[in-house]
Amino acid sequence: MEFGPILRSLARNKTGAVLIALQIAFTMTVVVNAYFIIGDRQARMQRPSGVAEETLFHLGSAGYTTNYDAVGSLAQDLQLLRSTPGVVDAVAVNQIPLDSSGWSSGAKTAPGNEHQSVPTAMYMGDHRTVATFGLKLVAGRDFTEADVRDRVPNMRGWPDKLMVTQALAAQLWPDEAPQAVLGRSVYIGDEAPATVIAVIEKLQAPWSGWSQVEQSVLVPEKLLWPSVNYMVRTEPGQRDALMPLVEEALATSNTQRIVSAPESMDDTRKRSYALDAGVSRILTVVMVLLVAITALGVIGLVSFSVRRRVKQIGTRRALGATRADIRRYFLLENFIITSVGLVMGAALTVGFNMWTVSALGFPKIDLAYVAGGMLLLWVVGLLAALGPAQRACAIAPAVATRTV
Amino acid sequence: MLEMRDVSKIYRTDAVQTHALRGVSLQVSQGEFVAVVGPSGSGKTTFLNIAGLLETFDGGRFLLDGNDTANLSDSARSKLRNEKIGFIFQGFNLIPDLNVFDNVDVPLRYRGFKAHERKQRIERVLELVGLHQRMKHLPAQLSGGQQQRVAIARALAGEPRFLLADEPTGNLDTQTALGVMQLLDEIHAGGATIVMVTHDDDLAQRAQRCVTMRDGAVQSDRARAA
Ligand SMILES: Nc1ncnc2c1ncn2[C@@H]1O[C@H](COP(=O)(O)OP(=O)(O)O)[C@@H](O)[C@H]1O
Ligand SMILES: [Mg+2]
Repeated sequence: MEFGPILRSLARNKTGAVLIALQIAFTMTVVVNAYFIIGDRQARMQRPSGVAEETLFHLGSAGYTTNYDAVGSLAQDLQLLRSTPGVVDAVAVNQIPLDSSGWSSGAKTAPGNEHQSVPTAMYMGDHRTVATFGLKLVAGRDFTEADVRDRVPNMRGWPDKLMVTQALAAQLWPDEAPQAVLGRSVYIGDEAPATVIAVIEKLQAPWSGWSQVEQSVLVPEKLLWPSVNYMVRTEPGQRDALMPLVEEALATSNTQRIVSAPESMDDTRKRSYALDAGVSRILTVVMVLLVAITALGVIGLVSFSVRRRVKQIGTRRALGATRADIRRYFLLENFIITSVGLVMGAALTVGFNMWTVSALGFPKIDLAYVAGGMLLLWVVGLLAALGPAQRACAIAPAVATRTV
Repeated sequence: MLEMRDVSKIYRTDAVQTHALRGVSLQVSQGEFVAVVGPSGSGKTTFLNIAGLLETFDGGRFLLDGNDTANLSDSARSKLRNEKIGFIFQGFNLIPDLNVFDNVDVPLRYRGFKAHERKQRIERVLELVGLHQRMKHLPAQLSGGQQQRVAIARALAGEPRFLLADEPTGNLDTQTALGVMQLLDEIHAGGATIVMVTHDDDLAQRAQRCVTMRDGAVQSDRARAA
């Protein structure tokens, strides 16, 4: 290997090499951190909401007349929904997971201001909510019709029974098994306590960006409000066809209210994570562009270095270099430049991540990403150098005597 | 021994064909010092390039140490160049980014010699050309004559069977040229076989044998009067 001479020769022509090394370092820093952030976003986007998303859609009903019959409308709507062929079940609820608006409150295990409350989303729905949503209970029993109380507008207080998600239970009673928290009291706000009758495996709050998104309470209430959300569960594969039919049927069945456009849970999820998806897309484009620009930079540098040394290449060939020797020379030279860039890049990558950890609360980067980034850019650098190196070894030995 | 029989070479470009060599026959034996003269364009460099395996030819035969060179692969030709041929160029062709030591080292590395052997050889040939004090200098820090001496050292370092020089003094003033010629004479006296292209008749006269080329053919081939 001609390591020594290549290094000494490089040292006398630093500028281009240093610039490319810096570009590689910068590219690596951005690419690895971007990839890491994308991975983190993707992981967030893939968290299950706890409901049977692929068979669920929801739509709103808002009565606008002054003497709107909320009680009658609700009964009539539910009757209509539940009897529609293809609909498995339907419930009226105050909010929809990932829908970005809803209720939250504070839950605690004892009354009084001296106790820290744990934030939680508050779901209200009747005894068919668990089945309609497709929630899984890890402990306890489902609500019965007898558990359900009516909630009229402007009512205070909460029913005496509720369900909590596992995540909320873990906050309220750390280290307790789900089974062990059944029968415990929960204080919502400063109201009378309610008893935990079940623990839900998972039910995400309406806000996907909320750090406590897994913390939810479900209370057994029949919503006698003029404005409610209907969550509709369909047979598999029938949802998308049913959505416009259901909207139409509801709208014509009662003209005293406005039916909002139905939305599938899949679309709700998309809407909820639109920013994450957008950020991921932009970062992906940035990554691809940067890698492409870096590859072009490497191609440019090696091409320039070949063109500058045409006579030298001819001379080397005249002195006995094979084509492979010439190719190896340029690949090795480029490998050295790339490696210097990547070592700087590794340090920069970790440094940048440490900054995002402390300043933005991002997670700490896994060193496998750093290694992966180095490997990727090594390969990119090698591939980019291959073309110009190939042109170098096509330079004829006679160039040595034919050029001045 | 270097032996050409009726070698021809045609350069083809889109518009024209140039018959650079038209049936050159020539033998150079071990230990000879041959000067090749002739007007510009007569085919001297072409002859030297073919002799040094830098270029292929179109007709005839060329035997290097008795081996036919016609069907050698590119890498076999590289290997032969590396082992049997030492090139000296008009423009010195030192690698500007490498110091004197590293320049002389270039063919030795392709030869695959171990570091200590390379070092020994480099020091010996640089001593021979009188530049062992300048090993760390870059080419740009040397005069033309010194650069050509480094190039000669580089050509000699692998102990080739043939030294091929294309106008080695063409870029040097008369005084310096004489010094380089003297060096080549000494090297020849030491047993080397040298083929040197030159347009300087005075220098050509110093050689044992003088081949004159014209229009791609050997016009005359004379031994120097003893
Ligand atoms: N690469 C080439 N392509 C086309 N013609 C060439 C090439 N090299 C040399 N020639 C032509 O071949 C002839 C011989 O050239 P050359 O051997 O360089 O002559 P000399 O060295 O005696 O001046 C000239 O007419 C020259 O123009
Ligand atoms: Mg010439």
